[in-house]
Amino acid sequence: MIFGKPVPLASVCKGDNMKNTIFSKIKRDLKLNKSLYILVLPVLIFYIIFHYKPMYGAIIAFMDYNPRLGIKGSEWVGFAQFIRFFNSPYFVRILRNTVLLSVYGIIFGFPAPIILALLLNELKQKKFKKTVQTATYLTHFISLVVVTGIIKEFTQSTGLINDIIEFFGGTRTSLIQNPGLYRTIYITSDIWQEIGWGSIIYLAALSGIDEQLYEAASIDGANRWDKLLHVTLPGISTTIIIMLILRLGQILGSSYEKTILLYNEATYETADVIASYIYRVGILERNWSYSTAIGLFNSFINFIFLIVANKLSKKVSETSLW
Amino acid sequence: MRKSLKKLGGLLLVCSMVGMSLAGCSQKEGEKTASDTASEAVAENKEFSYPMETDKTLTYWIPLNVNVSANYGNLGETDFYKNLHEQSGIAVEYKHPALGQEKEQFNLMLLDEELPDIVEWEWFGYEGGPQKAIDDGVIIPLNDVFDKYCPNIKAYLKDHPDVDKMIKTDSGDYYCFPFIRGGDLLLTSMGPMLRGDWLDELGLEVPKTVDEWETVLTAFKEKKGATGAFAYWYSVPDLTNNNPFACAYGARRTFYLKDGKIAYGAIEDSYKNYLQKMSEWMKAGLLDPDLATLTNDQVAAKITSGAAGASFAWGGSGMGNWTKAGKETNPDFRLVGAPYPTLEAGQKPEMGQRDNFYPGGLGCAAITTSCKDVEVAARLLDYGYSEAGHVLFNFGKEGVSYEMKDGKYVYTDLLLNNPDMSITHSMAGHVRANYNGPFVQDEEYILQYFSLDEQKEALKLWSDTNMKKYTIPPITPNAEESKEIAKVMTEVNTYRDECTLKFILGTMDMSEWDNYVSTIKSMGIDKVLEMENAALERYNAR
Repeated sequence: MIFGKPVPLASVCKGDNMKNTIFSKIKRDLKLNKSLYILVLPVLIFYIIFHYKPMYGAIIAFMDYNPRLGIKGSEWVGFAQFIRFFNSPYFVRILRNTVLLSVYGIIFGFPAPIILALLLNELKQKKFKKTVQTATYLTHFISLVVVTGIIKEFTQSTGLINDIIEFFGGTRTSLIQNPGLYRTIYITSDIWQEIGWGSIIYLAALSGIDEQLYEAASIDGANRWDKLLHVTLPGISTTIIIMLILRLGQILGSSYEKTILLYNEATYETADVIASYIYRVGILERNWSYSTAIGLFNSFINFIFLIVANKLSKKVSETSLW
Repeated sequence: MRKSLKKLGGLLLVCSMVGMSLAGCSQKEGEKTASDTASEAVAENKEFSYPMETDKTLTYWIPLNVNVSANYGNLGETDFYKNLHEQSGIAVEYKHPALGQEKEQFNLMLLDEELPDIVEWEWFGYEGGPQKAIDDGVIIPLNDVFDKYCPNIKAYLKDHPDVDKMIKTDSGDYYCFPFIRGGDLLLTSMGPMLRGDWLDELGLEVPKTVDEWETVLTAFKEKKGATGAFAYWYSVPDLTNNNPFACAYGARRTFYLKDGKIAYGAIEDSYKNYLQKMSEWMKAGLLDPDLATLTNDQVAAKITSGAAGASFAWGGSGMGNWTKAGKETNPDFRLVGAPYPTLEAGQKPEMGQRDNFYPGGLGCAAITTSCKDVEVAARLLDYGYSEAGHVLFNFGKEGVSYEMKDGKYVYTDLLLNNPDMSITHSMAGHVRANYNGPFVQDEEYILQYFSLDEQKEALKLWSDTNMKKYTIPPITPNAEESKEIAKVMTEVNTYRDECTLKFILGTMDMSEWDNYVSTIKSMGIDKVLEMENAALERYNAR
């Protein structure tokens, strides 16, 4: 991505005197776009401190790290931590759970905000539209701890959902202890919490579609459905694809917070994901190196997914991140 | 040779200093540089007495007990600390991890370059055990420290060689100032309990066998409308490890002593029989259907409201608190203790909950490698084992939290009949007797803490088991062994916890049992047992 005004490079590059060294170019650019550089500075610092500097610590994945000895003093063990992970009896299970949760999230969770945005877009009454919009994205601001607390209360044998089941003649069971229902509960609550927030970006994209296109379509005899398919969707397709690529890049990136708040021993089978496993073996049982190795493996797979998705999309739709 | 010369020099210096002061010559700053050994010699020679004169403030990391945190944000705000500070002369700044996140915050704390001076923790919960904590450079071995600065704990250990054996590692290192239970009555703190008023109403006896329990629970469910007749705080290992019905079948969830050897209970047939029974009860609706997710508050609510009629909990925070709360809405509300159940009528219960005199749990204070004033830290921690310290930790301050009656320490009404809060909470502000810490717990505490007759009666019933036979002493595998044990047990315990619950809930059929056992074997349990038994042999040889 390019920040700021384009620098007339050609004119600079013509001569080959001292002024044209890389430093002078940077200096010139800094002067030209001073305010923009200042704007981007905090973000840059954030990334350096919180994303680039910690990368150094990833080398403990190849060590048997002891914090008292530090990185310099700890013993190097090569790929032993990775091998231990691949040989772990839980390797296949947590990988499967992580991928499945992400895939279901993409199948059910990804289209949800798009549909909501499209529906909202069709609403003509402004006040109602605003109310729905606010109500749906307010849930995004509820703390995860509270949300999972609510979920647990609702799904216990004495909870609201069981009240409804009993009303229709079913029997009360603890839903949150049932591994078969865990993914449904997880994904549904995710959609409930994030649907409004996720729709904001699509609403923004929708507002960018030229009204004249709709008028032209009407003149051509298109009904509302035709307009949706042939004007609205193509209008926001770029946004959808970019969001999808980003989402695919996190295919192994399930959140550990929600998982550890929601799972219990009875649902490990479907609930335990890479992130929660890292939390247990890493933070609770102090296998620093082992958990770092798993994390590194996780990031590596995500990285590959992101690149492949981007390449594919570039080929198919000519839309890509870079 | 050199050392003795140095000592001699020190001695000479001391003599000369004494001489000088006798001559009335006060040379205070003069000899400072030449004097490391000299001042040490002085410290050893001079009779030490509390309060210590020091301007140091120690940092002290300690999980705040729930009974304290009910009313105080920091241990430093309690009367207990104010008295400790006054009597020992040593200032402490306590640091507490967030409630419920103790373990992860303990682990994250270890990543800091500067550790607190003192850390109170369950050192057997440190992956690899206390020996590994020393080897990792987290805490210091205390043998020299005990010799130099800790006459009180030394005296106690000399009188109690059995405890002395327990608080060392195989290599003979002391690693902490331990929490010690000072009497047989203190070794058992939890047991099964149920609604006494319901029993009377239904004309039933206190159940003694598993079959009798089944009758009682069924009656509770059918006649008293208890939705889950038996509910308890499942996610607490202490409770689930000692589940009374598991005890009845002779089943242990973890390691235990079987014919003098360490065995892993969760793969034995007794455990299978216990799970079989539990899954039957779950199906019949005798156990709480939300067992796995119950919190302490939920259990309390269920018991006091009558949604559950029986539980497994502590005598104080369970029976005591619940009875008080239950009586508020229902004056007839009464909980009675039941003995640990057996299979056949008339047997003495084999298993139950029973600690070692050194329980090896929370409350054991170690000095870290970052501590610069080891003497100050040691003097502070040794105070709990002195006579005055014993009184302070167990009974608090005379005239405030206790009074002397007939040569006995008697808690005042401020603690026992506080109108604003439960005994558990009021006590925790003044003493540490009702949870733990670096001191010797006094039996007199429990007799007064259990103010209800039902509690005293229950304690007697719960203590009456042969559990001593099955309790493993605090063994300490060496660094190599513990690393391997930790690696295997991480996976085994996850698998065991998961399957246990699934067997109980019925999501896993009992026909899967053989599969379950062979999976745990394939994870390497036999190798672990070998190492555990080797450590046990070394312990026995101490």
